[in-house]
Amino acid sequence: MSAQRGDISQLDPDRSYRGASDGAGLPAHAAPTYYDQPLLKKPHWGWEVVAYLFLGGVMGGTGILVALVDEDGEDAQLARSARYLAFALAAACPAILVGHLGRPRRFLHMLRVVKFKSVMSMGVWGLVAFSMPAATGVAVQAVDDGLLPPWVRPLPALVPARPLLGVLGAFIAGYTGVLISATAIPVWAIGKRFIPAFCVCSGVAGACAANAAVLALTGGGKRTFAKLERLELVASLSELALLLGFRRHAGELGKPMYEGPRGDKLRSWTMGAGIVVPAIINLVPLHARWKTLLASALTLAGGYVLRETLIEAAKASADDPKAAARQPE
Amino acid sequence: MANGFFTDTTLCIGCKACEVACKQWNQLPADGYEFTGNSYDNTVALGGTTWRHVAFIEQAAPLDRPPTENKWLMMSDVCKHCTYAGCLEACPTGAIVRNEFDDVYIQPDVCNGCGYCVPSCPFGVVDLIAHADYTEGRKFESDGRSHDDATQTAGGVAGKCTLCYDRQKVGFTPACAKACPTESIQFGDVDELRARAKRRVAQLEARGVHSYLYGVGEDWSVGDLNAFFLLTDRPGAYNLPERPVLPSTHQPAGYTSAALAAAALALAGFAIFRRA
Repeated sequence: MSAQRGDISQLDPDRSYRGASDGAGLPAHAAPTYYDQPLLKKPHWGWEVVAYLFLGGVMGGTGILVALVDEDGEDAQLARSARYLAFALAAACPAILVGHLGRPRRFLHMLRVVKFKSVMSMGVWGLVAFSMPAATGVAVQAVDDGLLPPWVRPLPALVPARPLLGVLGAFIAGYTGVLISATAIPVWAIGKRFIPAFCVCSGVAGACAANAAVLALTGGGKRTFAKLERLELVASLSELALLLGFRRHAGELGKPMYEGPRGDKLRSWTMGAGIVVPAIINLVPLHARWKTLLASALTLAGGYVLRETLIEAAKASADDPKAAARQPE
Repeated sequence: MANGFFTDTTLCIGCKACEVACKQWNQLPADGYEFTGNSYDNTVALGGTTWRHVAFIEQAAPLDRPPTENKWLMMSDVCKHCTYAGCLEACPTGAIVRNEFDDVYIQPDVCNGCGYCVPSCPFGVVDLIAHADYTEGRKFESDGRSHDDATQTAGGVAGKCTLCYDRQKVGFTPACAKACPTESIQFGDVDELRARAKRRVAQLEARGVHSYLYGVGEDWSVGDLNAFFLLTDRPGAYNLPERPVLPSTHQPAGYTSAALAAAALALAGFAIFRRA
């Protein structure tokens, strides 16, 4: 009797009880999962969070551009428009987050603590910090453009807006990737070395595209467009390489992102229309407003679809109990 | 002092008194009448308003196997109140705290419903409470309270087991443990419970039943569990992760990855914009 009872599972406790979520070593009739019910809860995030991840990337990239571009040289028009764009996005992003949370006061709940362990807390403070130099930078620009009275100028000039926008912009473009990687969702956790990097790349590429589009409408030098296109090419090709590398790295766990209709959408919109097609368009030696606008729109659409794919893939990943039972370390 | 649960699954008879007692004490809405066909489990999973869940593992062995291989296991699942809790670390408002009983508690009036704790729990415990969970067939729909009060009690925030913080405050045993007729759920000082659980494993082993403790003396990143379990099958059979991973352990690699990409692109941008 005793021996028979001991045979119930016929499993070595150290090896199989703790390491056989895929069913290896189980008796044939033992179910590998609990009725295939999800082990994890999926994120409830919808289009607001997708839009924030996307616009936050463009905003962060624009901050980097403000820091890089010489405000007195041939790219002066870019320096000017980038400041306005950074400020506009810094105003829009909290509004989107408030929309996601439901009421403004709920956003303020995040400002009662500073938590280094919480990537979201760090991100909120990064966003608040970014909005300061974004506001002072645009105030200086507005004085120069005659939109604000000259006496405003000395106050914001105290803040070193450009280096701050660069550093905080890089943080904002990247932290969203860290935020989703630092979860239990298998497809996100396995991507901790890839997702933050391609979020930064997509953000910088999106910022180049958005600023080129603004310049195409407001007027900018030919050489400025060429520089933006070159940086966009570097960023978006890095993004493509990282996306392909992540697919190899993630293997089975990457399926929710790279296979089925979601994978098709990622390939056609982000990799194809969002990276390869704008690169080809930008190679055409033609300087025309519609060309810039078309390439920019495609790049930005690709960036949005990338964020949407990340969020939606997580929901499918959380529903897979086999992936969730063996969590990536 | 750390208080917790020891859930001995070999004593569970699947009566679901714990589920009912929890719902009643905490005034949680019913889960509806959905028939799953998954043995006797129509509760399915823990959730924002379901803080105890009795799992039923019912598997018939093939005829050529000894009948003792038939499985008829029950296990009352609950929030694990981890030593290093993913939900607590992720919370950007400080709504999720560790209380004086060493348990993980969500302050509903501070929670802003951002939902970051939900994918941050490696056990899939915490969830957002939808307003509809309360308003459909519940008294909160039009009770005349302010919008603020309504959000705190009727959804839009994260919910999970409080380990009956309110009952502990006045020296009561949590509702589920109090209602459990077989003492499958035991409440008390965690050190005491662990010692008792180890004795139970030895006792079962002597009777020829192989069992082990899930969440005691573990080397995994979430640390030991204040609500731990005695199991007789793989963790996966009960829908528990083989080896839960604390999400914040991914942060160093994540931040490094972002910083490297940003530095590389900043260099490229510098070369492109400042070369002349």
